[in-house]
Amino acid sequence: MEPRAPAPTLPNPLREGLVAERIPEPATMVIFGASGDLARRKLLPALYSLTRDRLLPSRFAVLGFGRQAIDDEAFREEMRRGCEEFARRRPLDAATWSGFARNLFYQQGAYDDPAAFQRLSARLAEIEQALGLPGNRVFYLSTPPSTFAPVIRSLGQARLAPRPEPGKPFARVIIEKPFGIDLETARALNHQVHEILDERQIYRIDHYLGKETVQNLLVFRFANGIFEPLWNNHFIDHVQITGAETVGVEGRGGYFEQAGILRDMVQNHLLQVLSLAAMEPPVAFEADGVRDEKLKVLKALRHIPSSDFDRQVIRAQYAAGSIGGRAVPAYRSEPGVDAHSTTETYVALKIFIDSWRWAGVPFYLRSGKRLPKRATEIAIHFKEAPHLLFGRRAETIRPNVLSIRIQPDEGIALNFGSKLPGPAMEVAPVSMEFRYGTSFGVEPPEAYERLLLDCLLGDGTLFTRADEVEASWTWVSRIHKRWAEETAAGDTNLPTYPAGTWGPEEADRMLAADGRAWRLP
Amino acid sequence: MSEAERARANFERFARGEPIAVEVGEIERELGSLWQQASQAGGSVVSRAVLWNLVVPTRGQAGLEKTKALCDALAPVVPVRAIALCIDDASGGSALTATIDSNVVSQPGGGRVVCCEEISLVGPPGTEAHFGAIVRALQVPGVRTATLWMDAAMPSALLARELLPATRRLIVDTASCGRPIQLRDLEALATRAYPRPVADLGWLRLESFRLLFAGLFDPPVGGGPLRHASRLTVRYRAGGDVSALLAVAWLGLLLDWKPTRAAETSDGGLRFDFERDDQGQVQAFLSPSGAACDRSAILAIELVNGRDEYAVIRTAVDQAEVRLPIAPPRTVKLDAASDAELVVAALGPRGRDPLFARSLTYAARLWSLEPRSAGSRR
Repeated sequence: MEPRAPAPTLPNPLREGLVAERIPEPATMVIFGASGDLARRKLLPALYSLTRDRLLPSRFAVLGFGRQAIDDEAFREEMRRGCEEFARRRPLDAATWSGFARNLFYQQGAYDDPAAFQRLSARLAEIEQALGLPGNRVFYLSTPPSTFAPVIRSLGQARLAPRPEPGKPFARVIIEKPFGIDLETARALNHQVHEILDERQIYRIDHYLGKETVQNLLVFRFANGIFEPLWNNHFIDHVQITGAETVGVEGRGGYFEQAGILRDMVQNHLLQVLSLAAMEPPVAFEADGVRDEKLKVLKALRHIPSSDFDRQVIRAQYAAGSIGGRAVPAYRSEPGVDAHSTTETYVALKIFIDSWRWAGVPFYLRSGKRLPKRATEIAIHFKEAPHLLFGRRAETIRPNVLSIRIQPDEGIALNFGSKLPGPAMEVAPVSMEFRYGTSFGVEPPEAYERLLLDCLLGDGTLFTRADEVEASWTWVSRIHKRWAEETAAGDTNLPTYPAGTWGPEEADRMLAADGRAWRLP
Repeated sequence: MSEAERARANFERFARGEPIAVEVGEIERELGSLWQQASQAGGSVVSRAVLWNLVVPTRGQAGLEKTKALCDALAPVVPVRAIALCIDDASGGSALTATIDSNVVSQPGGGRVVCCEEISLVGPPGTEAHFGAIVRALQVPGVRTATLWMDAAMPSALLARELLPATRRLIVDTASCGRPIQLRDLEALATRAYPRPVADLGWLRLESFRLLFAGLFDPPVGGGPLRHASRLTVRYRAGGDVSALLAVAWLGLLLDWKPTRAAETSDGGLRFDFERDDQGQVQAFLSPSGAACDRSAILAIELVNGRDEYAVIRTAVDQAEVRLPIAPPRTVKLDAASDAELVVAALGPRGRDPLFARSLTYAARLWSLEPRSAGSRR
């Protein structure tokens, strides 16, 4: 059944001054992979919290689609357990949950079965008719990457995702990471997706961009007069970006063997964070304005020459060690991992951005599994004062560091030197801290809440555009190519680091060679 | 007791959050000394934090206790330097007395401690003449100052002359207005405070109802039905006339209704007649009831457009039923916030809502039409 065109509606004057001045139009969200972990831990809890905060339209339905043969009631029960455990707004409010759960539905089917998509189409039409929904749809692909193209093709064949037309209901598609596994596959996937959908219908999700501190990076830089004048190679010595995890492969050894940390963390999350930290001010805070500037940064990443490769790229694997007081096995001993695996669980990179602003400023990126603590942060290390007045006490003076903590404990800290009280001119480092939880008295919304809401509102600012994805893969794929060549040449000895340490000595030496050291996040 | 013993005893009481009597002129020095001792006491790091100076004028010991309880509840969320100014008829002597106490908040894991402080000044009537100078001296520099004007019975000259010049945000509570005529006083106050933002805890209490009622006109319904509204009913808990007036004022203002007439109704409520911008007529009824309600005092908002009804009706203290013509009724949660949570909201962006001042002006205008406005309700 063709979706009905919605009647034109007049603006709602009563929204003026309310917390949410814009509420999405009534819609149905179809979640492919609805019986999976992401739906239970993140998506449904985010949608419930949005409902609880009254940020979703009063008429809104979720249709889960998955391989598992369960009915609506079983799906609701499973999602209730997920929301009870993971929703930001807990404990669940009985009235809100009851209204929310009433509009949760489930449809069983295979992702490559055209008949299943016809059944999906019929079920959608039935739900929309019963609830008076106008036919707006968001399709969330929370499925293995290999299914992205078939699902989108099936959506096209079933006429479930028509290209946008004025006055017609919208159809948008959210695609989870990873978007491709290298440049060629990303390009191919973009091509396949564009055969069915317009770019403005596609929302490539990177949940890091939904985090408050990542968004605050733009506010911090462009809404304050004191930082942006310092945000360049005249004042900044170097930048460190860390994405540290304490977890190992968590039973996903088979997946991680194919991915590695460079694909899993750097190509998407850390390069997105880098592009926001390094971009020029956009002309306007709107989707393409921001994404154009991020793209320029990604295109300006200097390719690492072969001669410097070993000095600028360090990869390693975790060996057995200890995390949180318990012994953990080496990566090569994890289930699903090849005993001779060359997949990296840690990577450290020294990156240059070829632009006027950043000429000569190294960006050190590192990401790893089984590191001592979970922390993601950007640390801006400023240059030393040009002349030190305080003689031998200057040894204790450290350059200023501005650290932007993305997770956990989102916030910003500025370290600077201060005179110690007393007759001597002793200097000690002190820290000024801003923490979201303490300063605003509210817990920031979960990243998925912000991103799902933005998609429903049609705002793509915090989603990744096709050209951004291809630009980051262009840079990353060269590193993979070099590693593949090394492996083919029989070089399979990766450095190791004991689980529970901050990575291999090689990574420390990379910074030490520049007279620098990693910051402890 | 030696000076050192007295200092140690004071610090121990301070660390426990108990009040310590200090000389009025020595408050800042005593606080500095106590925090320094706290930092030397070992254990976790002490952060002395303040995001707002919060000035709270109040009357009597009961008012002071209420203020202290409010500050204790605020401390974990928004660290403030609270300056409670209490006029106490029962206060002995003619001079002001001062006490200081701490609010210590352990963070999860115990690694950090955020601390803020409360300063209480108590004196008999007449000592309020000193409050302005004391507040100016005790404001933490570089930190904004908000005045929490919760007691409508406090002398307004104290606010106008002494406190307003030092205030960046004024927070009032229309729920404390026992009589609607006080809306006019508040409107005058808001005018005097301009351009400082005025936040109202009563307005924030209405937000839950406003959100739900506004939600009825989100797409696909849209604002169309509002254009041809013919009848509005606001049911409220008896005594909550001010909240009901504000709710009607909110709708009248945003829908561009011009009030033309007011009359009493047989149930002890009021009826207002409005003219829409298309010259159509709207009748609004404020209907009191004895039903249970939270402090927002609103029990229902019902709007009729021809034969269609759009309504949010409270079915329990924390629940409401939402009704609109195109869907079956549904039950939703009604949020009720504590005063401390409302003060936190008032210190944030929601405390800068210009719609409140406009609605207050509109509500005062409505009240001036009311036939009894010069009579018994004064």
